[in-house]
Amino acid sequence: MNEAKRQVNAWVFIAPSLILTLVFGVYPIVWALKYMFYDYQGYGEAVFIGLDNFGRMMRDQAFWESVVNTFIYAAGKLIVTIPLSFLLAVILNRALKGRHILRAIYFMPTIISASVMAIVFYVIFNSYNGMVNQLLLKFGIVNAPIDWLGANYALITAIIIAIWGAIGNYMLLFIAGLQNIPEDLYEAASIDGAGPMRKMWSITIPMLGPVLQMIIMLAITVSLKGYESIMVLTEGGPYGKTEVMYLYLYKLFFPVSTGSTSIQQFGYGSAVGFVTALIVGMVTLIYFYISKKLNDVY
Amino acid sequence: MSTLNIPAKTSASSVSRSDGMKKLLSRILLWIFLLVVAAFAVIPIILAVLGSLKSNLDLTTGSTVLPQEWKFGNYAQAWSAANFARFTWNSVFISIFTTVGTLLVSTMAAYAAARVNFKGKKLYIVIQSATLFISIGAVVLRPQFDLMVSLGLQKSLWGVIIILISAHATTFFMLIGFVRAVPKDLDEAAYIDGCNFYSVYLRIILPLLTPAIGVTGLLVFRGAWNEYILPLVFTMTDPSLQTLTVGLASLKYGVGDAAQSQLMLAGACISILPMIIVYILANKSFMQMTAGSVKG
Repeated sequence: MNEAKRQVNAWVFIAPSLILTLVFGVYPIVWALKYMFYDYQGYGEAVFIGLDNFGRMMRDQAFWESVVNTFIYAAGKLIVTIPLSFLLAVILNRALKGRHILRAIYFMPTIISASVMAIVFYVIFNSYNGMVNQLLLKFGIVNAPIDWLGANYALITAIIIAIWGAIGNYMLLFIAGLQNIPEDLYEAASIDGAGPMRKMWSITIPMLGPVLQMIIMLAITVSLKGYESIMVLTEGGPYGKTEVMYLYLYKLFFPVSTGSTSIQQFGYGSAVGFVTALIVGMVTLIYFYISKKLNDVY
Repeated sequence: MSTLNIPAKTSASSVSRSDGMKKLLSRILLWIFLLVVAAFAVIPIILAVLGSLKSNLDLTTGSTVLPQEWKFGNYAQAWSAANFARFTWNSVFISIFTTVGTLLVSTMAAYAAARVNFKGKKLYIVIQSATLFISIGAVVLRPQFDLMVSLGLQKSLWGVIIILISAHATTFFMLIGFVRAVPKDLDEAAYIDGCNFYSVYLRIILPLLTPAIGVTGLLVFRGAWNEYILPLVFTMTDPSLQTLTVGLASLKYGVGDAAQSQLMLAGACISILPMIIVYILANKSFMQMTAGSVKG
């Protein structure tokens, strides 16, 4: 077969994918890398201002508060989601009756749109007359309705919603990892008289090592990046209590809803976008090194 | 001998009985735990469905879980008055064309990358994986929007569809694995029978990939159907182009008095229920693909 012809054919087949990726995936990043050094409001002329945008960011308290909120949000979500989904995975990986139905039920939330569910939760968590409060009052769990979307609880509510949407996904990833562990290891351990806890620490977790590390890394980046449901639920309010960094970034470019306006600051926004991506990258790297060290210890 | 045996036997059986009790108890605790989590997963959806059948007054002040009066009219109201017929059409349109386009672009690229060592393949793969890992959030939407303005597509659903198709890296990486799993001998045999590069794609690869295409297509369809921020940005000035997700969220900012909560829930159900039905029919496929990303 003619090799030159094969090369051309391959390129014809790659072309649509490559062009789309370069135009809509790579070019926007280059665009941002340029404009983060400019003062540009989206109209008029863009003025080169060097590193001024980064200086401004250092002093931008609202941005750094959103970074802190992001970490609280991500930590709150992961502390519950990872152990819970791991536990479910271990249980449902065994020959338990009904495990297929249970897996399907736990996974169901992940197929629903985050923004749509945010609207549903917005209605059922509604402060004084939402269904959650009605139920809590009815069963006497609380005496007074909880202001779920108020300043004190909004971030917790956002975390609960995030957990709801995430458990099934990570459960499934863990199950996939668990199924790669050979069954005879457990049998051998049973013969040696190991109990379930012992098996967990000596077989499951070390054998899962790299997969576990990958899944948690994925979970960290996903939870740092998520802002869609918060945007619909609270728009970052009240008083910026649920403002996460990617939502803050969004607002520098577009209004949150058709009714509102945004302060378009494309130059500054590009700089914020760059730093935000850097923060996520750094957290991922730090996690990667720590978990690698831990892996070596085992 | 016999006098010695009796106490030994009874103590053994009492031990096994307390062991059995322990086992039963831990089984009960296990099932309570599993059912509580299951309830946590399902209750919000059930509340949404039940709430969508209540009157606004019942929803905001009533204290019963079941509707006091079943208001199926909420759906008719959402469908026509709140424009959900239009939103549904737009969502269907975007999802179908995004799915078809993504699958076409990715199967072609996956076939070429799996079968030919073309020049620049490494660079191509690096670019594809970089788009998966680098995320500068909403920043990219701005230049993407400007690009669509210069193409004259910012006021049509095609702008959204093309950008969604451009984000096909995940699908590409899933499919390349499936193409590699198709034995190369089949290609060779087809070439001997007079096929060329293109007809091998059409007659060998695509037919053999059908199950994989079906499953990855489901994931792409779900992504497009659930997409919120991209269609929001592109349809801000033209409500007639809004998708279900965007139209639904805009109800929250509805003009005038108290928000029509029951319409919001009815609208949410119009968006959720088709996905749930697809999921009930094909949940194995959904889960298989998600799990596949770990097994790699």
